Amino acid sequence: MIGSLTWIFAVLCTPTLEEGASSVTSTTDTHSVEAGAPGGRGLAILSDKILTCVWRGEQVIDHGVLLVKDGKIEGVGRQGSLEIPEGYQQIDVGERWLAPGFVELHSHSAGASLYQVNDLNDMVYLANPGLRSSPGVEPAVQAMKMAIAGGVTTVLYIPGSGTNIGGQGVLVKTAFERYEENLVRDPGSLKLAQWGNPEDWGIRVGMAFEHWNTRNTLTRGVAYAKRWEDFENGKGPEPEFDLQWEVFRHLRRGEIAISTHTQMYQVVLMTITMVARDLGLPVFLDHSTIGGWMTGELAKKYGVPAIVGPRSIDPNFSRGMINWARNKHEGTRGIAAGYQSKGMEMIGFNTDSPIIAQEDLLVNAAMGVRYGLDDSNMAALRGLTIVPAIACKQGSRLGSLEVGKDADILVADGYPPDPRTTFSIVFVNGRRAYDANRDGRRW
Amino acid sequence: MDRSRTRHFFGISWVVLFTLGLVAPGFSRGAARLLDDEDEKKEEEKQDEKEGEEDDAYFAVVGGDVITGTGAVLRGATVLSKNGVIEAIGSNVFLPEGTETLDAGGMSVYPGLVALNASSRISGGLLAAEAPIVAGRDILDHLNESIGRALGGESHVDTPDNRRGDEIGDWEDLQGEQEAGAKGSKHNDSFDPFSPYMTMALAAGITTADQSGAAVKLKRGEIGDVVMNERNLVSFSWSTENPSGIRSLREKFRTTQDYLDKYRAWEERGNKDEKEPPKKGVDRSALRVLQNRSLARFRANDREDLLGIARFAQEFGFRPVIDGCREGWTVADELGRAGAYAIIIARDRRPKDESLVRPGGSKIENAAILHRHGVQIAVKAFTTSIESMGITGRDILHLPVEAAFAVRGGLSNEAALAAITTVPARILGVSQRVGTLVEGKDCDLIVTDGDILHYQTFVQYAVVSGKLVYDKEKELYFAHIRPRPEGIEDELEVEAVEDDGEEEPPEGDGEDDGEGDDEGDGEGDGEGDGEGDDEDGDHQDDDS
Repeated sequence: MIGSLTWIFAVLCTPTLEEGASSVTSTTDTHSVEAGAPGGRGLAILSDKILTCVWRGEQVIDHGVLLVKDGKIEGVGRQGSLEIPEGYQQIDVGERWLAPGFVELHSHSAGASLYQVNDLNDMVYLANPGLRSSPGVEPAVQAMKMAIAGGVTTVLYIPGSGTNIGGQGVLVKTAFERYEENLVRDPGSLKLAQWGNPEDWGIRVGMAFEHWNTRNTLTRGVAYAKRWEDFENGKGPEPEFDLQWEVFRHLRRGEIAISTHTQMYQVVLMTITMVARDLGLPVFLDHSTIGGWMTGELAKKYGVPAIVGPRSIDPNFSRGMINWARNKHEGTRGIAAGYQSKGMEMIGFNTDSPIIAQEDLLVNAAMGVRYGLDDSNMAALRGLTIVPAIACKQGSRLGSLEVGKDADILVADGYPPDPRTTFSIVFVNGRRAYDANRDGRRW
Repeated sequence: MDRSRTRHFFGISWVVLFTLGLVAPGFSRGAARLLDDEDEKKEEEKQDEKEGEEDDAYFAVVGGDVITGTGAVLRGATVLSKNGVIEAIGSNVFLPEGTETLDAGGMSVYPGLVALNASSRISGGLLAAEAPIVAGRDILDHLNESIGRALGGESHVDTPDNRRGDEIGDWEDLQGEQEAGAKGSKHNDSFDPFSPYMTMALAAGITTADQSGAAVKLKRGEIGDVVMNERNLVSFSWSTENPSGIRSLREKFRTTQDYLDKYRAWEERGNKDEKEPPKKGVDRSALRVLQNRSLARFRANDREDLLGIARFAQEFGFRPVIDGCREGWTVADELGRAGAYAIIIARDRRPKDESLVRPGGSKIENAAILHRHGVQIAVKAFTTSIESMGITGRDILHLPVEAAFAVRGGLSNEAALAAITTVPARILGVSQRVGTLVEGKDCDLIVTDGDILHYQTFVQYAVVSGKLVYDKEKELYFAHIRPRPEGIEDELEVEAVEDDGEEEPPEGDGEDDGEGDDEGDGEGDGEGDGEGDDEDGDHQDDDS
């Protein structure tokens, strides 16, 4: 009985597959590697509207065409003016729009760790810069299958906030079955947690000690990296290799950034002043909620992006939005809007997945707009794409539809942050990683 | 509260009882008495009206695009309320002298939303127990279920019926039930008219909240007459893991049905000497359901349970309300045949049980598929709480966001609006009063600065029973977020309004420009998704 059901299921699925294939205008399908993917022939995607999300420049291309070759974007332009090379497969998505895949900088969902074994929040020392989260990655877990249907094509999988420094994050794509294919960069970040969890570590430490411990650890790491830099510049002896501090060489080269679990005004202030201003390390504010927006001017001055979430509004913290005494009425502060009011442009969004489901990243952007973010320049969409890409130092590879970048492309039937918008096809590295018609609608 | 409304309301229930032929002799006598009384009251009221005509309270919302919820959209129309009831809707409505008017020019007017499964703090205020956070996992009900299972019977959540025991009580007692709704209700007693949670619910567009099964009208600053109906839902549990519970439920329904059949036959024979059929073993909740006086609510998600409930309901001829309904999309045709209502979380997430071959798990298209098969869809928020400590988009404060996710899954905008207005009103048994904007219904409406299903839209005004109870500009919560432009500032004038309302610039026009397009496109996607949906439909057709 069960067997026959499966058979019926399979039979029913088959015509759908063919339908999905025939809905695109293909010239020839002889290659074994799909068009656009590494090693395959080129792919041209035609769309009524391309939302490029480039940091500076043309944000919207009407009646555009996007060329993809070997997993990278080869050309972006207007239909008619950008020539489609011969032999390229053409897909006309018509009224559906193209946008870059979302980049999530705070995910704990790219592995099974959180639910099965605790290898994501090892709390051996109060600072563990040598630990990596990459061994915990499990490709194609359910959360990532959902993520891609929600437009998220890259996640920064990071350790928890149980210690001041939880270890190194890893940047992975959400699309593929193989880790190597998903990998963007390892280490992808260093996780720093300043307040709002690490104080519960071991003997329960106070904020003064935490700040000392953080500064001490970062300073020693920077000193280690500097010794290597001196050696490489022929100015000193070869230092002893130390796995605990290696990540600081990546940081000093500006290849990765510190993601900082930071919240409350005075703690966010310490992130900016200690890490960015004093130690000169690349860093972005993660969470950055609960009054953190008030530091906006300083954050802008020292080039520290704010990646907001999972909260998107600042209520009166201890009592939620309802004030018991009703004597300290304050309006509801949209956090992204707060940073924007301080002149900041580098405002992104995160979910802290699974706190908010990975596929709901776009909801946080939508809620940012609801609670006051001026979206007239598509700040919400940019906060899901180019801003986090730049924040994690992958601005030359991810986050926008530009020549030379990874072909991570959403085919959307509306403005991507709108919860009503669906993504019918998602390309990752030029491969059709998710197709609602082919795979069945996931989200 | 207008008394004539209440009377009309009673009238309906009497009609129902009479047509069902269930009224015991004593009961009929009582009814006759009561109807006599009512006629007298009518006379009295007519006199009152003549004497105190200037006491009639008129309130009009003028110039907005009125989305009535019945399919009609009236551009630049007027909604006139008299004593809390909609007197007229249209473009040429005469406003009596002394009508309070609210200018809704450039804005949209919707029926007030009806929130299912809402925190009891909304009407109960700060001191009310906070309802369990996770929707669909109501701790109290869960507890009840476990106890029920331990006893080998079905669960009884504290509906007033169950507290009275199994015997059918005094028929006379039933007469008073609607009155009990208004007077003797615990929800009425614990109503906090100044609850800040209520203010926030109104800010979210909610004018009726489901408080443990009771439909409570969010009358701000007033007490009394807030419970519209608290007996429309009786809960039963159905789980394939508990076959003895199912067996005992079926027995109860069978016994009760037998009793009803015998009673009807006995009544038809009209033999005064013959004894009335015995009521032994008759279940009061089942009786209400079989008499069509209450809806039976089941919390169920798994396909097997849903199928069981759908067939059980068809067997006994009632329409089940299924709270959860996660795998409903796999048996949508069966649920459609049962005329089911489904209360769903559009974003429900549960992967398919890997050990099962059959289709299963949550599906974003659940609402759309069920709706296509004739199931009435109500959407509830992800959590029962009014706010979530700064996390947004999934609590009662963001009910339309959840409905928007149903649209993401392919549900039409109209059905998504109905899922947070009309359908929940039906489920709570108050659709004759709220849920759509129609003449004769309560004037419970909201005025918004855009499409209610768009994430950026704010409620500018909320009106309950013809009174302005929420004004965004005058409450601290959201006033500073995209303040209403000067032109649309509220003006409560005690005189008829000129017709210039339509020419006012729409609120936040400049900001919305980038997104105006998106909505148009959003509608387009429904078609694209259709293919996927059909595929699912086919699956379940073949399976069942």
